[in-house]
Amino acid sequence: MMSQLLLDITPDWWPTFDNFVAGRNDELLAALHQALAGTGKDRCIYLWGETGSGKSHLLQACVSVAQNAHHQAIYANGVVPEPQSVVAVDDVEQLDADAQIALFALYNRMREGGGVLLVCGRQPPQHLAVREDLRTRLGWGLVYQVHGLNDEEKGQALSRHAQTRGFTLSYELLQYLLRHGRRDLPSLLAVLDALDTHSLRLHRTPSVPLLKEVLQQSLELT
Amino acid sequence: MQVKTFWDNCLSSFEKSLPPQQFISWIKPLRVSADNGRLILTTPNSFTLKVVQDRFLPEIKRQAKLVFQELPVFDFRVVENLPVPTSKPNSKPADEIAKPNIEVKPKIETSFRGYGKLNHSLTFDNFVIGKANQLAFAAATQVAELPGVSYNPLFIYGGVGLGKTHLAQAIGNQILANNPNTKVCYMHAERYVADVVRAYQTNKFEEFKQYYHSLDVLLIDDIQFFAGKAKTQEEFFYAFNTLVDSHKQVILTSDTFPKELTGLENRLVSRFGWGLTISIEPPELEMRVAILLKKAALSDYVLDDAVAFFIAKHVSSNIRELEGALKRVEAFTKFHRRVISVDSAKEALKDILISQNRQISVDNIQKTVADYYRIKIVDMLSKKRTRNLTRPRQIAMALARELTSLSLPEIGNSFGGKDHSTVIHACQKVTELRTEDSVIDSDYKNLYQTLTG
Repeated sequence: MMSQLLLDITPDWWPTFDNFVAGRNDELLAALHQALAGTGKDRCIYLWGETGSGKSHLLQACVSVAQNAHHQAIYANGVVPEPQSVVAVDDVEQLDADAQIALFALYNRMREGGGVLLVCGRQPPQHLAVREDLRTRLGWGLVYQVHGLNDEEKGQALSRHAQTRGFTLSYELLQYLLRHGRRDLPSLLAVLDALDTHSLRLHRTPSVPLLKEVLQQSLELT
Repeated sequence: MQVKTFWDNCLSSFEKSLPPQQFISWIKPLRVSADNGRLILTTPNSFTLKVVQDRFLPEIKRQAKLVFQELPVFDFRVVENLPVPTSKPNSKPADEIAKPNIEVKPKIETSFRGYGKLNHSLTFDNFVIGKANQLAFAAATQVAELPGVSYNPLFIYGGVGLGKTHLAQAIGNQILANNPNTKVCYMHAERYVADVVRAYQTNKFEEFKQYYHSLDVLLIDDIQFFAGKAKTQEEFFYAFNTLVDSHKQVILTSDTFPKELTGLENRLVSRFGWGLTISIEPPELEMRVAILLKKAALSDYVLDDAVAFFIAKHVSSNIRELEGALKRVEAFTKFHRRVISVDSAKEALKDILISQNRQISVDNIQKTVADYYRIKIVDMLSKKRTRNLTRPRQIAMALARELTSLSLPEIGNSFGGKDHSTVIHACQKVTELRTEDSVIDSDYKNLYQTLTG
């Protein structure tokens, strides 16, 4: 059967506070909002948590909020930018020696000159494998663990994501996904995206058999 | 007019092809103008410039070819504090929170003067003294009373986050308090290196020398940053000699003893030993408690001794992390509208107090559960269905489901090739048993606690 060629048009989706399922991260969200609103005491916040827990999502959401309010704000991964009103540096463990010095200098300058600095990594400051003077500084401000979602919260996040892509996630589909796929959120979202694309291509409604095909294909690819 | 058309086309093309976040970050802040047949692309910082050159220049050139008869020459400029676009970006409204009220101070550095200022909140009054730093404190107060006379240079060394910067700045602040006309410059070593580079770039070495050689007190923090930077060391060597020879005070801090500094010229290292070299040790428990009580007092609240002891006992490495822990307790209690107590501090810090790596594997879970119930791992993974094996197996499966991201078939597979439905059954059974049997519930909690620290 010939499959439908798809135009590369997918509904807009980018990380915002709206599409972040808070789970057990209420206090962290409040701290981020306060820092962005300039009402918090601390302007350097370090976030840590497992891969897929939502750290990058939150950093990008913060940058979006600041940019939409016409502030200079930047999200950086693997490099360290110049001071701005909001600087978000993702994945601190991946920074090389020079970039770590640059982040150390950025920290000092922003502490002196103002602005909000958000940094994230997989480990809490005590266990971070970065230079000592940087490590202790990251532990100086507010430190929050980003808690991953439990299955119920993942279900909420997946249903919302399906809605933004224009389809409804049935209970059966959701249960199958949570039982048979990898259960970290980025993997689940990726499967959902693949399911959507596959269903459009074949003109079939998203269903458990279709999901099985997608999961089977992803296994063959890996 | 052509320039406007060209840039409008560029904006329109990028707006279609890039995600809004990237369009707002990289393209919106750019400004384009023409000068003598050249197109000038102005970016707000060098970082944006690099990204634009690396990723977006081909498309910008492609658009230019469509509008101009010949491809113009591109010039790139960085102008900090470029006006930010006034129109609302074409993106989702994200004003769900208060309008951000955050600004960075303009950092136009046209002169070597005007920065390198002291932080006036770091004084002797709010410096907590203990066994770990009493000698350093005594030396510092003496230098502050008799700058350039008693110990020159004063070299303070110790691990990170132990209060070297506070002590150095307190000296500077005290000298200024005694004599407000004194020219005091506090500078982090990395900033001094940047100054040398800038002097090179702008050909302003004379101005650089005049400034640094004219100081009454020079404080350089983290001198180890000079390692391997020959020109910086040379300039500092001259400044150091000039100042010390004319009885001006030099205060240096470092993370190591001078003789152990690597990458620094011998002539510099030997000069560091001319005055007094003094160390700051990590604070003992009582001193950490005193620091916490003082920090709380500075934030206008009274911290209970028991809470201070609890935090100080668990955060022993350095003062920065101690301060971070206190801030976290403050934020937690404020958010949850609770009073600061040992219980609330425990809860607030439970995430950051874990001492082990959080990456929990199924192997680790199986080993921990097997040890706990004193059974062999091979038996846990076998097909045997005696109760003394099934319960631990089910508990291990439930923990694997809760603490790892593995799919249920993957969990089943790692338990000797069991089916995913076995894992589902195990999880349901454990949930059921925990409500009915307090021993099982307590076992589960203990194991969870052991695995997560």
